[in-house]
Amino acid sequence: MGKGKPFLEVLASAIHEDYRFPFLEVFAFLYALGTFVFASFGVSITTQSATSQSMATANEIIAYGAVSSILSIPLFIFIILVFKNIAYGLGSDLEKGIIQTYFSYPLRRRGILTAKLLSALGVALLLFLGIQISALYILAPDIILPQLGTVLLTYAANLSYPFLIAGIMLLLTLKLRRGGIGLVVGIVLYFAMSMASGIATVFAIFTKTPLSLQILSAISPSIILQQYYVGSLGDFWAPAFSELLLYTGVSYVIVAFVFVLGYTYFSRRLNL
Amino acid sequence: MKRWTTVLGRVGTVLITISLALLLVSLIPQLQLSSSKGSMPISPEHMQIAFNSQNLNPQQEVQVAVTVEGTLKVYLLEISIELQIVNGTFDYGFNSTDLHELVSDHPEQIIWEDPVENGNYKRSYSPTRVMNATVIFYNPSSSETARVEYDVALESSLAPGDKVRTIAYFAAPIGIILTIPWLLNSWKQRKQK
Repeated sequence: MGKGKPFLEVLASAIHEDYRFPFLEVFAFLYALGTFVFASFGVSITTQSATSQSMATANEIIAYGAVSSILSIPLFIFIILVFKNIAYGLGSDLEKGIIQTYFSYPLRRRGILTAKLLSALGVALLLFLGIQISALYILAPDIILPQLGTVLLTYAANLSYPFLIAGIMLLLTLKLRRGGIGLVVGIVLYFAMSMASGIATVFAIFTKTPLSLQILSAISPSIILQQYYVGSLGDFWAPAFSELLLYTGVSYVIVAFVFVLGYTYFSRRLNL
Repeated sequence: MKRWTTVLGRVGTVLITISLALLLVSLIPQLQLSSSKGSMPISPEHMQIAFNSQNLNPQQEVQVAVTVEGTLKVYLLEISIELQIVNGTFDYGFNSTDLHELVSDHPEQIIWEDPVENGNYKRSYSPTRVMNATVIFYNPSSSETARVEYDVALESSLAPGDKVRTIAYFAAPIGIILTIPWLLNSWKQRKQK
């Protein structure tokens, strides 16, 4: 038997557990509804280009604004699904000894974790991005297609921090072999970022230096993204596009590092 | 085979729920943001601006209804005309000459150019991006004054209703077809148990 079949077996089992009927359907409904309900194109071409501190074009700002508007509550719903899959799904598999059963498969440990993460993160992300980008295309094809780069960059920057929390939750769940505490820590970290970003903004405005915002942007590049496209935080920081890409790249390097730690722990240190 | 039935069945149920969400979105009524009604005579080879917006977006729809005695051309142009103070009163700095120049030099900025003669006219437009929009009534006749009764409204909705409804009407039957084998399979399994 090749390695492909056991991998698909683990993946199918993980998907079956993570998306029991009607979980997938409820989340698909909420994504579709939320995208249309929260979508907003409420920007003026003339005012945007006249008042903004940003170096982006008017159409890029409109595309950024549209994606940001639909990311509000639907992103939170996506995060709930991912957190549930990682903390509850993987946690209960560890508690119930299902992972031990997987270890008897002719499959490397990293293959098992990849299958679990593909189900927990990959399927959820596919559903989320598939529905949101399709809905945006239905609403405004002439904004989305020409500005696809801006749309994807906005998603990449906004999803980086949730991925980081997912990685931290994965580490905690593997270490503690249960998901409850990981889930609580994940939710606290998610809300802590909005508080930290508020404090960093106040600090930056008073000191007239963007250092605090730059530090925060390394783990949550949505801050630098907002400053690049809208420039609403003040004129003391006008990031260039290369800077925006750099911060987004750095944030994903951090995310990758946390997941590599998770893989290393699962492969070498997890004694079951 | 059984696994593929399950996968396709779940894709089908997802399609059905997305269709339900789209139908729900299309049922939410439109909100009227502004409306301009009235009647006026338009002198030969003169024009009148009926609607002007600097940021018409994909969630908005311009609805134009006109009843004409005489000849009229209804234009929807992708331009923004600002109000200016002319001789102590507010007026648009745009006249018939500017309209002719625009029509001949920039035809890409014409969204509609519809002639109406002694009758009713109704049309609506929802853009696919954020854009400027101006509705102009122009009397092309060289001798006859046109009498126009008009109602130009700007409405806002969550999504273009017709488009969303059409997608839902296509997606739901596909979803049902994909779901039926899975449901039958599940029902047979329960019966066996």
